[in-house]
Amino acid sequence: MSIIDRQLEEMKKVIRDPILLVTIIAVIISLIIFTLWPIYEVLVEGFLAKDGTFTLKYYQDVFRQSENMRVLGNTLLLGFVVSLFSTAIGFLFAYADAFIKIRFKRLFNVIAILPIVSPPFALAMAFIMLFGQRGFVTYSLLGIKDANIYGFAGLATVQVLAFFPTAYLVLAGLLKQIDPSYEEAARNMGASRWHIFKTVILPLVTPGIANSFLLVFIQTVADFGNAMVIGGNYTTLAAKVYLQAMGNYDIKGGTALATLLLMISVLMFVVQKYWVGGRSYVTVTGKPSRQRELINDPIISWIVGVPCALISLFILVLYILIPYGSFVNLWGIDFTPTLKHYGYVLSLGLKPILDTTYLALLSMPITGIMGMVIAFLIVRKQFIGRGMIEFTSMLSMAIPGTVIGMGYILAYNDEPLVLTGTATIIVLSFLFRNMPVGIRAGVASLQQIDPAIEEAAQDLGANSFKVFTSVTIPLISSAFFSGLVYSFVRSMTAISAVIFLVSASYNLLTVAIMSQVDVGRLGVAAAYSTVLIVIVLAVTGILKLLLGRMGIKINMQ
Amino acid sequence: MLKKSRMIAVALTVFMLAGVLAGCGSKPSGETAKPQKLTLYCGLMEDHMVKAVQEFEKETGIKVDAVRMSSGEIMGRIKAEKNNPKASVWFGGPADAFVQAKEEGLLEKYVSPNAGKIPVQFKDADGYWTGIYNGYLGFVSNQKLLNEKGVAAPKSWDDLLKPEFKGQVVLANPGSSGTAYTMLATIVQIMGEEKGLEYMKKLHGQVKTYPKSGTAPGRMAGQGEAIVGLSFLHDGIKYREEGMKDIILSAPSEGTGYEIGSVAVLKGGPDQEAAKKFVDWALSKKGQELGQQVGSYQFLTNPEAQAPKQAEELKDTKLIKYNLEWAGKNKSDLVEKWNNAIK
Repeated sequence: MSIIDRQLEEMKKVIRDPILLVTIIAVIISLIIFTLWPIYEVLVEGFLAKDGTFTLKYYQDVFRQSENMRVLGNTLLLGFVVSLFSTAIGFLFAYADAFIKIRFKRLFNVIAILPIVSPPFALAMAFIMLFGQRGFVTYSLLGIKDANIYGFAGLATVQVLAFFPTAYLVLAGLLKQIDPSYEEAARNMGASRWHIFKTVILPLVTPGIANSFLLVFIQTVADFGNAMVIGGNYTTLAAKVYLQAMGNYDIKGGTALATLLLMISVLMFVVQKYWVGGRSYVTVTGKPSRQRELINDPIISWIVGVPCALISLFILVLYILIPYGSFVNLWGIDFTPTLKHYGYVLSLGLKPILDTTYLALLSMPITGIMGMVIAFLIVRKQFIGRGMIEFTSMLSMAIPGTVIGMGYILAYNDEPLVLTGTATIIVLSFLFRNMPVGIRAGVASLQQIDPAIEEAAQDLGANSFKVFTSVTIPLISSAFFSGLVYSFVRSMTAISAVIFLVSASYNLLTVAIMSQVDVGRLGVAAAYSTVLIVIVLAVTGILKLLLGRMGIKINMQ
Repeated sequence: MLKKSRMIAVALTVFMLAGVLAGCGSKPSGETAKPQKLTLYCGLMEDHMVKAVQEFEKETGIKVDAVRMSSGEIMGRIKAEKNNPKASVWFGGPADAFVQAKEEGLLEKYVSPNAGKIPVQFKDADGYWTGIYNGYLGFVSNQKLLNEKGVAAPKSWDDLLKPEFKGQVVLANPGSSGTAYTMLATIVQIMGEEKGLEYMKKLHGQVKTYPKSGTAPGRMAGQGEAIVGLSFLHDGIKYREEGMKDIILSAPSEGTGYEIGSVAVLKGGPDQEAAKKFVDWALSKKGQELGQQVGSYQFLTNPEAQAPKQAEELKDTKLIKYNLEWAGKNKSDLVEKWNNAIK
């Protein structure tokens, strides 16, 4: 009884506040239109026959064709293997970062950031340069003539290298929160380090391990770029959806496959968010009371440090290859230095560079503001539909880009809302795909701030808008600007959704790079990638500098 | 301090909101302004496309937006956009896909005044599409890799099944690539459906990867990523000129298929007038000869246009009587059968 009363009371407060009410309704409507509707279109399209009647044919086809089952098996196996290795390596890095005294820790940050600021298939490209049939290592150094990295092994390795930083960041955060008193207590009672690791540390981070496993799984399954570039004949669902819908122009078959992919991702997301996500043992202990004394045992440092150093070095080499590859004449054949690829990019391919930068910049403020507004609503306000806002807005993080891209094409090519071929559709896809990270950052920092400050402003007569702009936003400015930067970077490097949405009027860099890789022009692709990375670093650098002057720190993770 | 950063934050917020509004507001006005413009989907090489667009813009003052895709992708696009077409011209790529698009009612009939000169075998009898160039399918191989394996360049379709070529053949995906579909249709026309699909299944065991675009296999062979790429031979010449010196071209002795690269107006697309002007231009002597400047060495359909001298070496390629109508009409079917055959 009292709960309902209280809810009613809260609802009344909302209704009395027109600005708040309008905002809530606007947010809910936009989430319905731009997140739920496209998904609905994808789900429904596969059930409709060409004349609009209900049919199960396409779904039956999906399950009957043994090829599709093989693709599904491929996807799950890949997800499992990549998540397993990524989590293991991520844990190693996190452990080294939080527990061990080693010198090159700053490098870890670089390694963690690189996959975020580069095109999603940059690693795959570099990998082909190194280990392809004419690869630098395989052919020039080892003289292997038949090296074939297209397929499971190549794809899985590249994905592990690209996605283990996710696991690293999640786990490092957790490990650093563990209060050292526990270990010290155990040490004092005579437990060995290994015993402590097994009985204290590991149980504390088990939910975190499960969490990062699932997060990596979602990313792997949705990964489109690497699967297209280096997957070879090992087809995964994310690539197959695109090939089926656009390559074989069988949109209906494509949507049925997309539904399958969507199910996997959403299932993982729900498990991650509501089952694993809630089981953190670490936060119960609160913030650690003091700094941990880092392990200085040379044996442990070596065992953990050497693999970390080797992996980091390897990743750096891969990334350095990209700019290097853009300056040589013809990779694998003729290594004379040349600027011709840049000539090509700057004369014939300038448009995608400008378009991408413009659209990413345009979507940046919208994403940032909307993210903070939603975070504010979720944390501070009680109203009907709050749960829906939270779930839907975070959901778009889990939906594979190929699914959402297809949904956008299906939903916005007809009345009442025709958006295909415009800049708007691309900006919208950036907005709704990149918002969740801003929301998460906003929620996290709002939760640390006492609502009394905002209430005080309200009591003094400020309305919701005023409170939000002059109290809330300044208090969470760091989260806000981090969200901005992140959204820009993600927009610049996204491919899976926008490959469906680019048009003759607006082409994007990642799509241009992908098509250069596909036709085998690695030099031009490398030049494009280098330009992209430079733009991303320049813009984030400038933003960081400006904000730093204002005393605002941003956090890229 | 707090006050200062608060003001900055508010100022930034306002500034950004203004930017957003300006961004939203400026779009409709951009669309009402009316210098003639044209949107085209293009199946040619990117440099060829860009050059053609620049030239056409210069000549007519019509502003062109163009994007390069593989023919399957273009087909997927125009099909998805059927109710609200975004582009008005489909420029380049094998005619098989155009035949299919015609069947599906995606093309607009347009007989250009320039189409009269084009020989009948290079254009649609009903005037829905017109050929602009003609290219022969064949094998682009890497001489250095052939030497390493001690094997000669393939001279027949069966040669591709040699054990030396296991995992060394690259064919694009016939679903997405017009080039690869031409190959599939050629094989079925030479061997009959059953034997042809059996052949494709055997070939599957030899294939290294199926990229989505037909321009990839030749390049991969040229770069030494594979020994043989199934490609249009004129593309091989282009790659060789780009510096892939090891490329050697050969064609199957049983005869090979060919493409008629075409141009068509898309049904219901915006700017139909400009679209027609573009088709006229693409069929003209000048429009056709442009390709040679950027390394596109196909034979040309306009008899007045000078074929590139580089195409000379391909002149004696043995061709089959490629049944374009059949290939186009059976495309979905055949691709589906192929998909099932290679499982």
